[in-house]
Amino acid sequence: MFSSSRKKIISTSLKGFRCNSQTAEALQVTNRLASNKTKPSQLKFSRIYPEFLPDPKIEFRNPLREIIERMDMLNRRRNVHIPEFYVGSILSVTYSDKHNPEKLNCFVGICIKREGCGLRANFILRNIIDSQGIEILFDIYDPTIQRIDVLKLEKRLDDELLYLRDALPEYSTFDINMEAEVLPEGSEIPINPIKVKLKPRPWLERWERKNLKGVQDLELPEKFYKRAAELADTTSQYDLMKQYMKTIPVEEQYQIFSEIESELNQLEIAQKKQKRKKSFVKPVKLA
Amino acid sequence: MNQADVSKLVSQLRIKVNPRLRRFSNPNGPAGRLDKLRKTVTGLIKHERIELNYPRADEARMYAERLISDAIRYGDCHRTTMEMADFWIIEKQLIHKLFKVLVPRFQDCNTSYTRLYKVPSPYPIIYKREDCYRKAVLELRGNPYPSLLPDKQYNKNIIHNILLEEAKKEYRMQKYAEVVANTEEKGKCQTDSPDEKLETSSDISSKPESNKDEHTT
Amino acid sequence: MIYKRFLVLLKNTNYSRVTKRNITFTEESERQSNLFRLEKVRQKESVGRIEKIEVQYAGPPNETTLIMNKNISTPYDCAKHLGEMLVNRSAVALVNGETLWHMHRPLVDSCKLELLHYKMAQPSLVNKAFWRTCSFLLGAVAVNSFKDQVKVCLHSFPSPNVRSGSFVYDVQLSLKDWKPEKNELKTLSIEFIKFCQQNHQIECLEVSEDYAQLIFKNNPHKSKQIPDIAANNNGKVPLFKAGLHVDISRGPMITNTNHLGRITVTNVIKLETDIPGDPIYRFQGVALPHSIILNHFAYGLIEERARKLNTGRIPAINQDLSIDYGSFVKPQVVV
Repeated sequence: MFSSSRKKIISTSLKGFRCNSQTAEALQVTNRLASNKTKPSQLKFSRIYPEFLPDPKIEFRNPLREIIERMDMLNRRRNVHIPEFYVGSILSVTYSDKHNPEKLNCFVGICIKREGCGLRANFILRNIIDSQGIEILFDIYDPTIQRIDVLKLEKRLDDELLYLRDALPEYSTFDINMEAEVLPEGSEIPINPIKVKLKPRPWLERWERKNLKGVQDLELPEKFYKRAAELADTTSQYDLMKQYMKTIPVEEQYQIFSEIESELNQLEIAQKKQKRKKSFVKPVKLA
Repeated sequence: MNQADVSKLVSQLRIKVNPRLRRFSNPNGPAGRLDKLRKTVTGLIKHERIELNYPRADEARMYAERLISDAIRYGDCHRTTMEMADFWIIEKQLIHKLFKVLVPRFQDCNTSYTRLYKVPSPYPIIYKREDCYRKAVLELRGNPYPSLLPDKQYNKNIIHNILLEEAKKEYRMQKYAEVVANTEEKGKCQTDSPDEKLETSSDISSKPESNKDEHTT
Repeated sequence: MIYKRFLVLLKNTNYSRVTKRNITFTEESERQSNLFRLEKVRQKESVGRIEKIEVQYAGPPNETTLIMNKNISTPYDCAKHLGEMLVNRSAVALVNGETLWHMHRPLVDSCKLELLHYKMAQPSLVNKAFWRTCSFLLGAVAVNSFKDQVKVCLHSFPSPNVRSGSFVYDVQLSLKDWKPEKNELKTLSIEFIKFCQQNHQIECLEVSEDYAQLIFKNNPHKSKQIPDIAANNNGKVPLFKAGLHVDISRGPMITNTNHLGRITVTNVIKLETDIPGDPIYRFQGVALPHSIILNHFAYGLIEERARKLNTGRIPAINQDLSIDYGSFVKPQVVV
């Protein structure tokens, strides 16, 4: 009984939301924009903050939950600056230890994967410390995270860098005391064309079948490549509906980001101000 | 746990999208499935109206919508779109039709580009699966053929409408005659009281409807 | 069997024997229809050298010019060339935009052709033809439905008027003060439906006065009407035939009996006339084309209204036939 009544409340409030957020007229405007091939400014956010877009899988959709989650995400972003970063960027994450509330941990590493949407969005950092490979999966909106800094903002050739696990250790070793590199404002995100050398087999996955761009020659016997060619999926690139089901249509993206655009812009401006303040920090006298 | 793939922008389809794609089990696997759908999509663009089994029509409709919406969104100078058109349209002269005929036709369209009708299945109907063996007609909007839906506009000249209209008239005349007869009777009864007679008669002439109500109750 | 035997009789052209026998009504119908058929064959053979005519048809679906045979090809043949949909739905043809033409009547000259159906914007002409056909078929049902001891003699039917709510045929029956029960009316309706379901083409033919007299020699009323009709139509009498039933009518009629969808024979009412002999009964009915679907409640209203006596012309002995003779007037000209 309780659940049913709650559902009812949800559905009515949902209607309210929809009416507020978008009238039929607005929808028409979006349609026209889409058909005129103009890229609305809001769409740049979909690349910077992909976790604001809902899960493309239709079973997991829940419009009300999505709206509430977006509000929560913005609230979290007001407290902690979560910068723009991509797979391949080097981050340092400062987070509190739940077993030792006084203590703060800091981990520096390369982001090898980003996944999930909404409050469940996460990323994996990888580094090699004392010749031991270490990976930590952080939830982006985890309240224990105190601070996220981008030390080097760049992209790699691949969308996922999981192959670094099988690469030679020098490719995933980063200095803990790395200085942050600041990109000039308005410049494009650079793509690092580095090609990684993998260790000899055995591997965690069959990387020769993954069509990787950021690895050097795998030095495998011919039969591996043959088999990979046999199993290569040549048709799914033409499956228009599969593509459609993996993404969120432009009109919907536009709608989502037009709702939160002003908030995101404000946050960005506030962050820039803070950065300027930080740059005037008094030099500490060393002993 | 997925993240939306934002590497390619697609327009929203104006049709219902099934949560799962049909598999159309095929010895050639997914390639064979796409091959089947390719034929249907090509047929649709060529003939603009085709009759086929429902599952395939439903599936092909989504692909046709996607193809047209991409063509509208990106135009014929976009490389990926052209490759898609080249893959999906088997008869290559129809690629020209897609970009030069269908795109202008649907550019300012606010609804779906295709329509799907369920049509009666041929007798005898064998229900193997839910929508197996059901027939459908898939068509592009704005095709040159006459509409499949009946014209439901009211035409007072059609024979049954004439008959009903006359029946209505006769019923009204009959009711009116009844009212008149009743009021006359009433008038006769009231001859005893000459003071009221004038009043009632004027009432009758002005509003026979109200009188009728009194008598029926 | 009877039919074949009758054909043999016809070949010998020994009519006198037939008349001497006590003819039942089905035999009478067979005789009439055979005479009709023979005359039709004769007329077809008398065409001689085949000449070509151009028939222009202006849509739908598209504008076409057909080369047809003079005095042989009918609008129905044209429809066959144009498509199945037109064959099935066309009720009457309109020639040169003014003359209504029966679908099975051969075209006599190059012309513009239109095919009319029940759901047009202005279907009043089609409705009239439909109503006339219903009257004509009601006559056929009246002839065929009664038991042998009842003498049935068709008189005529008034000019079709859809607004009157029912189609009518006046029939002389050897029954005194017959008031049909519900079941009897139902039986008549069923007979009507059965007859229509046999998908009879409605054929038409123009014959000379003498030949018409020969066909209708057993029907005193029709025999009386024929000279007048012939005088009004250049000495010709237009006949129509559905199944074995032959009747006089000015036409045109619809293409086929399967055009009729819902049919009810609603009432049979005795008329007060001065015609000598058995009393005249007015058969009334209501029908809708197959293509028009109506819910049973609305149809019930129409049926209810059709039960009342139709106020169409009541037959009498000395009528001014040239004015209001219903079953035959000169071919209609549409303004």
